[in-house]
Amino acid sequence: MTRKIRINPALFAVFCFFTSVYLALGAVDDWGRLSTGFANLKTFFVESLWPPDWSIFEPRLYPECNAPLGFSITCSTAWIGMSETLKIAFISTVFGMTISLPLSLLAARNLSTPGISSVIRILLASLRSLPALIWAIFFVILIGFGPISGILAMTVYTVGYLGKLQYEAIEGMSSLPLEAAEAAGLGAIEKAINIVIPESANDLISQAIFMFEYNVRHGSVIGIVGAGGIGYYIDLYLGFLVYDKVIAYLILVFLMVLIIDSISVFIRSFFTDERPLNRPKWKSVLVPKRG
Amino acid sequence: MSTKVTGDIAVSLEGVTIGYDKKAPLAKIPSLRIKNGEILAIAGPSGIGKSTLLKTIAGLVPPLAGKIEVCGARAPSKPYRGQLGYIPQRLGLIRHASVFHNVLIGSRARFCGPIDLFASKEAKEWAKRSIIQMGLEDKTWEPIRRLSGGQQRRVATARTLAQRPNLILADEFLSELDEETMLNVIQAVVEYSREEAAAIVLIEHDIGRARRIADRLVVMDDGRLNPFLSETKTMEVRM
Ligand SMILES: Nc1ncnc2c1ncn2[C@@H]1O[C@H](COP(=O)(O)OP(=O)(O)OP(=O)(O)O)[C@@H](O)[C@H]1O
Ligand SMILES: [Mg+2]
Repeated sequence: MTRKIRINPALFAVFCFFTSVYLALGAVDDWGRLSTGFANLKTFFVESLWPPDWSIFEPRLYPECNAPLGFSITCSTAWIGMSETLKIAFISTVFGMTISLPLSLLAARNLSTPGISSVIRILLASLRSLPALIWAIFFVILIGFGPISGILAMTVYTVGYLGKLQYEAIEGMSSLPLEAAEAAGLGAIEKAINIVIPESANDLISQAIFMFEYNVRHGSVIGIVGAGGIGYYIDLYLGFLVYDKVIAYLILVFLMVLIIDSISVFIRSFFTDERPLNRPKWKSVLVPKRG
Repeated sequence: MSTKVTGDIAVSLEGVTIGYDKKAPLAKIPSLRIKNGEILAIAGPSGIGKSTLLKTIAGLVPPLAGKIEVCGARAPSKPYRGQLGYIPQRLGLIRHASVFHNVLIGSRARFCGPIDLFASKEAKEWAKRSIIQMGLEDKTWEPIRRLSGGQQRRVATARTLAQRPNLILADEFLSELDEETMLNVIQAVVEYSREEAAAIVLIEHDIGRARRIADRLVVMDDGRLNPFLSETKTMEVRM
């Protein structure tokens, strides 16, 4: 098939940019507010936000801390909140992926029939159309406060989001291995297990880790509606206007995201070596070579 | 194994039109029959539709018109599982999986059921044997992406030989190989064809080489509007 209309990608990008500038100009009535905004930010930053209050790493007063000496950090709200957030994120990523992988195999147009594929796509889109926060509110109403609501909300959202990433990765794989298998007479399940999953494993893994990171970040949001995790404390101190503690929690979340990102690079380096990463070896940093 | 062969004719095409678009067919083939145990080479200029013809026989591209029978199955019904082995022009190996995994996909088609999670002992045995036959023992657990182009071609050949098919369709699988590897690959395939009375269809740009290997050579001729197949009997020079 040959398309009649050709679109120059560069022109299209320029067009998109100027369209959004035009739309932004229409949407904003008073640009003057931006300038006062900056002044406000400066005051807010100096007076309330900085320095962060690292007392979040100290053990809580109540309940009493029973941890052995040197481990009192495990009684801190930062530790309790973050470990709950990590738990929720991990469980919902694993459960979500367990459900989304079969669904994405059914949704991929190079494996499935058009009918099944569109039904699954609509299902995934509907799970995705509500943000994780709304799902959290929904489950809190349904079964009450606590981590279970958080896990359910995140799992549902993970299925919708990860499912889409996965079927797109699967559709992006080369059709040739599938053709060779098809000609040999291999069945759909065999093709999925023996060809599709190994061929797209690299993408699937990095997406799963990305999803885990996403769920950690959103753990701070859904906690706000009482679905557990570090968000509970963020919301608590936001309510009391204790912003220096809030920023300390947010920095903690940020550091966690960085850590997960480097773990992701590390894990993926086992599955691919096409673009060798020039990671500096600790030894070469600490012990400089003598020329 | 040759008991699985049904009838004398491996492939039969009658009045078949190949292509992707009814308005612009690539070629018309009035009649083409390939006997079991026969090695047929197809030559012709680039872009004329050789790969498309092979894919049509493999059941991957539906014919625009005409009757096709492959291994006793009249299209659109497919031959029995494992009877047909197809090596795509660009091989179609799983880049992130090992040589063994890739070759096992071929033997699975013949020696395992469609819902078997684990490969049968027989399947593994045949996979190992054809890896050795292609001289790839020391690469058995290496991922494909770390192999050279020629080694990858040998893996694709091993995958199809491990399948023990009645018909092998190989798209330009001799290009990019050094002389020694080429002889090795040809020998394996020709021997297999003799032992199992398997039909081989291969696309080969090099007419000299095609004549040396094949029992018969057909040339897909130029003339894009109305291409035709002209059969050229060649001397029977076998290696
Ligand atoms: N999937 C496809 N859809 C539409 N057209 C295709 C498709 N694949 C190939 N073609 C077109 O069909 C024609 C024949 O392609 P084919 O791959 O069969 O040629 P070939 O004879 O094998 O050439 P080569 O010797 O270069 O491999 C080409 O013009 C190509 O653009
Ligand atoms: Mg070709």
